Amino acid sequence: MEQKDTVLVVPCSGIGKVHGLISRESAYEITDNVAKGQADTLCLALLVKGDEEALAKVRNSRCVTIDGCAKYCAKKNIEIAGGEVAESFMVNDALKNHRGEQPGTATKLTETGWTVVREIACSLANGIEGGEK
Amino acid sequence: MTKKFAILPCNGLDKQNGPISREVALALLEEIGGKVICPVLLNNASPRYEKLLGELPLLVIDGCGTKCASKLAAGLSLKVDRKVLITDEMKTSALRPEDTLSPGPAGMEFAKAVATLIAEDMPEEAMRNSESLFSAPVDYNTFTHDKYIFRVPREGFFFNENDCWVRVSGTRARVGVSDYVQQNMTDMTYFSPPPVGKTVEQFDEVGTIESVKSSMDLISPVSGTVIAVNTSLVESPEIVNEDPYEKGWVAELELTDFDSDMELLLDCKSYLELIRKKAAEEH
Repeated sequence: MEQKDTVLVVPCSGIGKVHGLISRESAYEITDNVAKGQADTLCLALLVKGDEEALAKVRNSRCVTIDGCAKYCAKKNIEIAGGEVAESFMVNDALKNHRGEQPGTATKLTETGWTVVREIACSLANGIEGGEK
Repeated sequence: MTKKFAILPCNGLDKQNGPISREVALALLEEIGGKVICPVLLNNASPRYEKLLGELPLLVIDGCGTKCASKLAAGLSLKVDRKVLITDEMKTSALRPEDTLSPGPAGMEFAKAVATLIAEDMPEEAMRNSESLFSAPVDYNTFTHDKYIFRVPREGFFFNENDCWVRVSGTRARVGVSDYVQQNMTDMTYFSPPPVGKTVEQFDEVGTIESVKSSMDLISPVSGTVIAVNTSLVESPEIVNEDPYEKGWVAELELTDFDSDMELLLDCKSYLELIRKKAAEEH
């Protein structure tokens, strides 16, 4: 496989449910904290509108996608753009470990929601740090 | 009635203004209602939003000059009723959001202020929908099994043995799944609606729901033609968990032969008896 230097963390654009917010905040948690300087992020809508710079960035990076639901918009659109999805994560998988707890709403996370964010970020950061560079 | 919008914000993530467009959309949703459209899902699967866009005027909110949301709407030839550009709003506002990607308190205050400006500028307009046909309040009988309390509407609903209900108003009916189903399946994660225009016979499949535990084809209790689907469930399938008999309806049908269909349906009392048996066998 071709070696790629950069890692791109791409959350879905989910809006209106807590899943989308968790996806987004997890991406920020990775790029701003747990893997700061090792990963960048990208606006998915810019990519689906065919922005050349965004397309090039995707094709030259190892992509980590975080999807809020089973529609897998982030993963699918990275693949459609010709990108390599090194790892795909679904928020529901992390929420299963917190059944019965309230992660928050579309606009605000509870402490459980932030815990889920940190768990997702740490889980994916391990792959970023240990992945093929 | 305040005019509601279908709100299409950009997906801004890596510039300051984009996340604010999202917060404006959500603040507007809290303030006056309406529906928010996920821009990437709209791009990938625009038919999911067809009904919504036929019912509500479209408000587009762009974060920056790239105007992804506007380009998306233009690419799909959508009629845009109102546009907002956060960059322009910043020029005229005294509020100054933080220069961070995730909006802080000042960013949130700015977003709410922009949402209020939009809301106050909306004229009144009657909405096109059939909610009034199915708006009568619902009273429930309940059945307790272990830690579960199952609700069944006392009147106006009929059920098949596949745990799907029908609520009739004149020649129209709404169908959905029972409280028993949603509690057994737990958290809904996906809804696949039937196509509008599809003709179904009694016991034909009329959509699919999936939860973290299982999936289920909805078996229509009635025969008819699908004239509307509950597009809210596409974005928020958990509505089925929250309100299976009212907001969680699945499809609306124009009935063809309800009198015959009735012969194979159960009323509240009979359905309660059925789920008593099912619960005893399954739990």
